[in-house]
Amino acid sequence: MIRILLAVWLAWQSASPEVLRHLQAGTEADKQRHFDVAIAEFRKVTELEPTLPDGFVNLGQAYMENQDYGAALAPLKRAVDLAPDLAAAHQLLGYALLAQGYNAEAIPHLEKVQELTALGIAQTGSGQLQQAVANLQAALAKHPNDPDLLYYLGRASGLLSKQSIDTLLAAYPDSARAHQALAENYFVLRQMPQAEKEFREALRLRPNTPELHLELGLVYAGSWQWPKAEEEFRAQTKLQPGNAEAAYRLGAALLQQGKAREAKTELERSNRLEADMPETLYSLGKAAALAGDSAAAEKAWTRLLSIEKQSALAAQTHFALAGLYRKQGKTAEAEHETQEFQKLQNSAAQSESVPK
Amino acid sequence: MLTAVCRSACISLLIACAFLGLAAVPASLFEIRKPRGLDFVLQNSPTPQKYLIETMPGGAALLDYNNDGLLDIFLVNGGRVTSPMQTPENFDRKNPRYWNRLYRQNKDGSFTEVTEQAGLANAGDGNYGMGVAVGDYDNDGFPDLYVTSYGKNVLYHNNGEGTFTDVTAKAGVAAGGWSVSAGFFDYDNDGKLDLFVTRYMEWDTKHSKTCGGEWQTYCPPEEFPATTSILYHNNGDGTFTDVSQKAGISSKKGRALGVAFADYDGDGFTDIFVANDGMQQYLYHNNGNGTFSERGLEAGAALSEDGRRLSGMGVVFQDYDNDGWPDVIVTELPRELYGVYHNDGNGTFSYGSLATGLGVLSSGSSGWGVGLEDFDNDGWKDLFVAQGHVLNNVEQIDPSLHYLELPMLAMNHEGRFERADSGSTAPAAGRGTAFGDLNNDGWQDVVMTSLGGTPQIFFNRGGKQHWLTISLRGTRSNRDGFGARVRVNGQTRFATAAGSYLSSSDKRLHFGLGAAETAKIEIAWPSGVRQNLNGVHADQFLEVREPEKP
Repeated sequence: MIRILLAVWLAWQSASPEVLRHLQAGTEADKQRHFDVAIAEFRKVTELEPTLPDGFVNLGQAYMENQDYGAALAPLKRAVDLAPDLAAAHQLLGYALLAQGYNAEAIPHLEKVQELTALGIAQTGSGQLQQAVANLQAALAKHPNDPDLLYYLGRASGLLSKQSIDTLLAAYPDSARAHQALAENYFVLRQMPQAEKEFREALRLRPNTPELHLELGLVYAGSWQWPKAEEEFRAQTKLQPGNAEAAYRLGAALLQQGKAREAKTELERSNRLEADMPETLYSLGKAAALAGDSAAAEKAWTRLLSIEKQSALAAQTHFALAGLYRKQGKTAEAEHETQEFQKLQNSAAQSESVPK
Repeated sequence: MLTAVCRSACISLLIACAFLGLAAVPASLFEIRKPRGLDFVLQNSPTPQKYLIETMPGGAALLDYNNDGLLDIFLVNGGRVTSPMQTPENFDRKNPRYWNRLYRQNKDGSFTEVTEQAGLANAGDGNYGMGVAVGDYDNDGFPDLYVTSYGKNVLYHNNGEGTFTDVTAKAGVAAGGWSVSAGFFDYDNDGKLDLFVTRYMEWDTKHSKTCGGEWQTYCPPEEFPATTSILYHNNGDGTFTDVSQKAGISSKKGRALGVAFADYDGDGFTDIFVANDGMQQYLYHNNGNGTFSERGLEAGAALSEDGRRLSGMGVVFQDYDNDGWPDVIVTELPRELYGVYHNDGNGTFSYGSLATGLGVLSSGSSGWGVGLEDFDNDGWKDLFVAQGHVLNNVEQIDPSLHYLELPMLAMNHEGRFERADSGSTAPAAGRGTAFGDLNNDGWQDVVMTSLGGTPQIFFNRGGKQHWLTISLRGTRSNRDGFGARVRVNGQTRFATAAGSYLSSSDKRLHFGLGAAETAKIEIAWPSGVRQNLNGVHADQFLEVREPEKP
């Protein structure tokens, strides 16, 4: 687009036929991805019209298309010098600087054109984490589920989180929150005994911190100590009876121990607190089936399948329904659900085998 | 002074206990001790190359090879593995360190190593040992041995005078590839034991690799192609025919590690359950016409409750809840829960790991050899599982998992399992496990192999409950009555020596009778003959001969 406008502008400016020829040749070579030729032609344009910023922009862009970001910097900087408000120049220069790792230098150019994704990445790289998170969130709002954006937002958020925790640990090493932060770190590393110890210390220092019981319960669940997990999740539900996750976790811990009726009660409660969470419905179905309440199991799983149709959880639910129907002697229904399960399994396997 | 007082008090207490019959209650049902003469070490030879075979052996068999009434022990060894292995592969099995071993039990409970004199010393340099199956394939009254390997398998015919002869070539059962568990059973009820051999995968040391990035671990099974298991039909003349294709066994490739047999749908024909690693489990239904149909998925016994693939390793196919139908328990890796498939009596199974309480006991462990035996003779079969992770560096990857584990003993309380103390305090990389009454006291014992170590022998301390142990003597059926369904006071056992992992158990059928002093026995022989015995006295070893006429 820049090049077409430039050609029109040059024609209007009665540029010399030589400049126009080089410009057309460069544009044509660029189209055919003959970047070396394009670069040579655009360089001629800048030599013949050294005060024309757009010529430098074209040259810089050709360098970038040729993956030579270092060489792109000089013409793009020249373009910005010549036309401080030329958005295309700032945009390309910002990207070129970012690609070369000059995060701080890239930021003002990207800010100028509000190139939020690149700006967020540059800010992450230069340690401006709060601004990075804000800009990446704004970019994600415009492009939901963009994998690169999701990754960079996760990275920036993680670094921001780490920055806060580092400050906490340095300033208040003996606080409950410091022990909690350390515990969470051990939990991620699956060092469960250390995680348990730190959570216990945090609880000793501040006994009624609600999420501590939930997190300690997850440590026990992660190391398959279900009775202890149950105890902690129960403590959490006492402190926060309106916490749907706590009720779900307690239900799941009870289910793991085969305490079907109690599990069903808690999972039903969780579902009332926060209706139609797929994981809750799935576990509720399991608890109900285990408790011998086939109707409730079927209801929970059918509801789940009305919400989730293609996911791995949907496949599991079809499989679970097949088992329920099989036990009831409903052979045709069991077979149908098994087929639905297999269909989802096969499509998942196919998508896994598609070359990326 | 204090010591003297304490000593005096302690002695008084002991005397009082003895007089009152209040012997101090032992912490465990089992006492673990090494019988004199049992000096076996399982040489799995781990290398930095992480050849997958190194983490898989080895089997144990409890058999009375010389028919003196005492159980003997046969243990399968791995072999020497070099780093890297050269071609052709040589596992140095001529070296006595790597021999399989036969230990004859003496009357005083000690063992004498008789490998060489029994003719079992040469396992073949190209074979890395895996497991063992025991069965009297020629119905001569002496149990024969089938040893599986990575390489070629060997069938040893028991000559009846304390020696064995390698008859593999004549019998045609060498298999090849990587064989794991095997078992004798009579799939066509012709009175002659057939042979099923599981094979793990298409793998060799030349095409081996490591996984886990910087951790350098053994690779998961999915990294190598699946393969077929083998069914050999016994021709009755000392030879076997590979009928895998004709019977439909080879129609599905798998990564089979364990195998167990029972008639799950009561049609009179023995079915096969195959524990596959990292994929769905196979339930081969015996169609009664020499063919099998794989029905695991439709019968509800192929996957976890959540439809996930399982790392099936060991398997037992017996009735844990005394409803008369054989159930399946498959041992797995951590986070998968040992799979309990309850037989609903209509040809289908429902997942019972959570309902039985086994889920909560098994979620962090890796299980291998497995058996359902009534260890406390209360009339309910308890569960024993050899445990230990596949990866010998698993703690580096996940500190909550362990390469060396204690075995699991779970007591059965009317169909629900609760953890008990196995008596073992030495974590080990448990693998093959065989069950039987080693000292003929009416209480079931356990032999468990462990990688790089000596086998652990769990001697049952016994108690006051009654018991009955039955030896089947088939006439129309195969001589050992494999495949018979035996009911005693409402409990059911399916006659087999197979199951577990790589191992073969005491062929005698053991029943705990609780307080009952007599038993009612109902036997459904594979021949179709039904036999009832009433008012049988408890606490005896009983041989039941199949009526020659129905």
